[in-house]
Amino acid sequence: MGYLRGFAVTAKKIFEGVTTKQYEGGKGGKTDQKAPKPERLHGRHVLNKYEDGMEKCIGCELCAGVCPANCIYVRGAENPPSDPKSPGERFGYVYEINYLRCIHCDMCVEACPTEAITETKLFEFSFSNRSDAIYTKDELLVDDDGRPQQLPWEDWRDGEDQHTSGWMRATAPSGKASAQGTVAWSGELGYGVRAPEAAQNVRTPIDAAIEAVAVDTAKAEEKG
Amino acid sequence: MTTAEPTEAVTGVPFTLNGTELVAEEGELLIDACDRNGVHIPRFCYHNRMKPVGMCRMCLVEVDTGRGKALQPSCMLPVTPEMKVETESEATKKAQDGVLELLLANHPLDCPVCDKGGECPLQDNAYAFGPGETRFVEEKRHFKKPIPISDLVKLDRERCILCDRCTRFASDVAGDPLIHFIDRGSQTQVNTFPDHPFSSYFSGNTVQICPVGALTAEPYRFKARPWDLEAVESTATVDSTGARVVLQSSQNEIVRVLGVDSDAVNWSWLSDKERFSYEATAKGDRIEQPLVKNEETGMLEATRWNNAAKKVGAALRVEPDRIAAVGGARMPLEGQYAWAKLLKGVVGTDHVDAQLDDGLPGPLVLGLPRATINDACKPGGVVVTIGADLKEELPTLFLRLRHAVVEDGVKLIELTSTATHLSDFATVRFDVTPGSVGQFATAIAKQAGADLDFDVADESGLVEAQADKVAAAAALLDGSVPVTIIVGRGNLAESPRFTSDAVGIFRRLNDDFQFMPALRRGNINGALEMGLVPGFTPGGVQRESAQLDTWPDVPDFDGMDTKEIFRAAAEGRIDTLLLLAANPLQDFLDEDLVRRALANVKTVIAVDGISTETTDLADVVLPAALFGEVDGTFVNLEGRLSPLRAKVTPPSQARPDWMIPAELAIVLGVELGFTTIDELHSELSEVLPSFADIDWDTLGSSDDGPVLKLNRSWNIEFGKPAAAPPATSAFRLVATRKLWDQGTMVQESPSLASLPSEAAIHLNPDDIERHGFVGDSVTVRIGDQTHTIPLTSDVRVNPTTASIPVCLPGFDARTLITGRSTTAVEIRPNGTT
Repeated sequence: MGYLRGFAVTAKKIFEGVTTKQYEGGKGGKTDQKAPKPERLHGRHVLNKYEDGMEKCIGCELCAGVCPANCIYVRGAENPPSDPKSPGERFGYVYEINYLRCIHCDMCVEACPTEAITETKLFEFSFSNRSDAIYTKDELLVDDDGRPQQLPWEDWRDGEDQHTSGWMRATAPSGKASAQGTVAWSGELGYGVRAPEAAQNVRTPIDAAIEAVAVDTAKAEEKG
Repeated sequence: MTTAEPTEAVTGVPFTLNGTELVAEEGELLIDACDRNGVHIPRFCYHNRMKPVGMCRMCLVEVDTGRGKALQPSCMLPVTPEMKVETESEATKKAQDGVLELLLANHPLDCPVCDKGGECPLQDNAYAFGPGETRFVEEKRHFKKPIPISDLVKLDRERCILCDRCTRFASDVAGDPLIHFIDRGSQTQVNTFPDHPFSSYFSGNTVQICPVGALTAEPYRFKARPWDLEAVESTATVDSTGARVVLQSSQNEIVRVLGVDSDAVNWSWLSDKERFSYEATAKGDRIEQPLVKNEETGMLEATRWNNAAKKVGAALRVEPDRIAAVGGARMPLEGQYAWAKLLKGVVGTDHVDAQLDDGLPGPLVLGLPRATINDACKPGGVVVTIGADLKEELPTLFLRLRHAVVEDGVKLIELTSTATHLSDFATVRFDVTPGSVGQFATAIAKQAGADLDFDVADESGLVEAQADKVAAAAALLDGSVPVTIIVGRGNLAESPRFTSDAVGIFRRLNDDFQFMPALRRGNINGALEMGLVPGFTPGGVQRESAQLDTWPDVPDFDGMDTKEIFRAAAEGRIDTLLLLAANPLQDFLDEDLVRRALANVKTVIAVDGISTETTDLADVVLPAALFGEVDGTFVNLEGRLSPLRAKVTPPSQARPDWMIPAELAIVLGVELGFTTIDELHSELSEVLPSFADIDWDTLGSSDDGPVLKLNRSWNIEFGKPAAAPPATSAFRLVATRKLWDQGTMVQESPSLASLPSEAAIHLNPDDIERHGFVGDSVTVRIGDQTHTIPLTSDVRVNPTTASIPVCLPGFDARTLITGRSTTAVEIRPNGTT
């Protein structure tokens, strides 16, 4: 009869409240707002396009090769001369990321020679089965206006697509500090050429917001 | 050690490498001497299997030969005594920096797109020896991105660094000088001649040796990246040379085959068929499930293994004399042994033949003393070729032989049915007409002093007319130098009797002559060795003297060969016919006979991996795993064992060949005695003396593989050769084979399927003129049938003979072959009868 005890746990949990914490104000509430995120936060990936609409991905598989979690699967193919998908001979024919494996380390972004893959700051997405966790090229590719696709199961808010790419690399070009502040980024659909990320000693509004949250949390902990 | 031993005299050339005193071999190139001593000098153009040219200047090192230090290309410099070499000096490094910076001045940096990226010598050397930064800001040179130089190879001239490797390979190694440098200065490029594509049988090698991504092979373009390839060493099974290869796979699919530098066999070269026919396994029309014919509808339907096995088991429970099996040359040795044990040991039939009447008699091949390829190619020797153009049938062997004849001074005597791609280099070449090879052999042997009790029967005067050649050949075969006789079936329209006669005469001339059977089908030598030939049991032992303790039984009658089997089957004397990976409708010379045979047999059982027109007519089809899907062993034409390794999983329910007879035996209530491949290997080592010392686990992993010691306890009696057919006004037919044909492996490989040319009848230009043939075609009469066949003028064809390749699209040349000892056809100008 041991299983009854198991059921009892389930039954008890049904009537306990949900432990998931909503953002301040609750979902759909008046003040429903996400907490500010650092500029370099690693979220769901996008595949970028050039300003002429060509895909940046050339199917070189460097991202898949460097991925420590082995979550990327890429196959290249020859660009059809009449309808090329990307500049050059090769394009990414299959591109899949398995988000059950991805650890958002951003190594793929660093490895990418064409800035094709970058990460948004979106981490509010979930799935109820394993195959849904595999994002295909159709889902990862940016829209015709260069913005990430807002898929039904993802929680996008206004303005959140701003930081899909731009200066997302952890290091400066060629690893040289002197390159800080220079644009090392080709033009892209929907954004043109982005401004470089601010130097590390410059405070941005987001830095201030994050610090404010941190101070609030510290105060709350002191009280508690 | 108590007393100091006298030091061994140092033989060789003493030199100093980076301050260490070393000894090089006499005449050794500096780059090789450094390699041997563990000092790597970067290089692009140097390839150890080709002559050095010093094109790329990457291997510059600082050398002091007593006249002061100077930069010299180490690939062009034989080591001389007391030479002092610096490979890491400032001057050397500066030279390396300079060479790489200049090479990269025009080399595009599209490495992420380029297929070579990740395994590129230019990339590696730039990282290891390059300056790291370039000073060039100018626009790089541009060419049209890849241009197809053949059906299989694309050339990206922007990436080319002009190392001369591909062009040297094409002209020096393959003998197909179809690509060359054109233009001058910064516009220098490799290209083909106008309207002459690089249609070489060896074009894939240029892709393998290209040190950048300039040459890419169509089947591999953009398929995978080098770092996600898994690799395993194996052996090419499309012909009997047994070239060593490495199979590379990605995502459980073989995507590339590369040649391995095996000193004894293929020297890293492969023919395009060996290199690209892997496509047939992945993309061919595979049989994935056992199929059984539905009695009512007559259609093949998928079923389970045990249903199919039961049906086969029932068909095998008839009189052994009424069961026959054809084929088996495609399988690994293990499958061949298991089938031989089931058919000969359990079922008890001797009607088993792996050759489809297109090779040489099994007893002849099994009884000849074998030469290795290195024996044949040893400088100073003599090679006699009887039969076909090796370039068409065994291309990799052709490359080795070509090198031996062209570079190493091996003397070549040709007794082939048509001139070959080596004829220009042959010391003696005979114009042999069908049926006369035995007479030529007799004349040569008599002249060389053989004690023969018969004379040359030369009614047509053909031998007499070439008396000076006979004398020249006889002088070469006087026994003072080693002789290798490469013997194949050069003419399918001629009885193999004539070839065996010639072999017999050379046997009688000198017992020390060694032979190499140039049978082309994959593992045919393994099949013969495993007893898939009437009258024999495994180990090349005759049926009567078989001593096989682990076998329940041996056949108690002498079996029929393939031709007799099909005749018997057509007459209803066979109940069960097994086709072991054979496609006789395509490969057997008399298609009509095969159709009648298949119709009159009660149960046709086909074991194959790929669906063919023959398997479509079978009653039971058992799916077999193919090349790259199973472990096993290959026996090449030298008798050398080399491993076949699995890299990908077989499709669906396909099984390794050896498992299928093992399972059928259980249905018959017998155990074959092995349930794993290791047990099968132990049984082979136990039962067959020639396999006793084989170390199966490390087979070929550290060397080129062991050569089986074939000690035959029996001798073939050779008598008087059959007389040559009399002279005739008609043309004697020479039916040859081409590398690209309608065969299963070529047709099921998408990249190769379109390569076969249309069948045409080839005539000597003199004959064309003499008979006044005009236009593109001629009318050919055989018996009471006439055919209009395209005509090609071909100097390789001997006068008074007509050559036509079989198994090509357009015209089925098999319809011209009568099955008599030779075939004569009447050829008329087109439009007349």
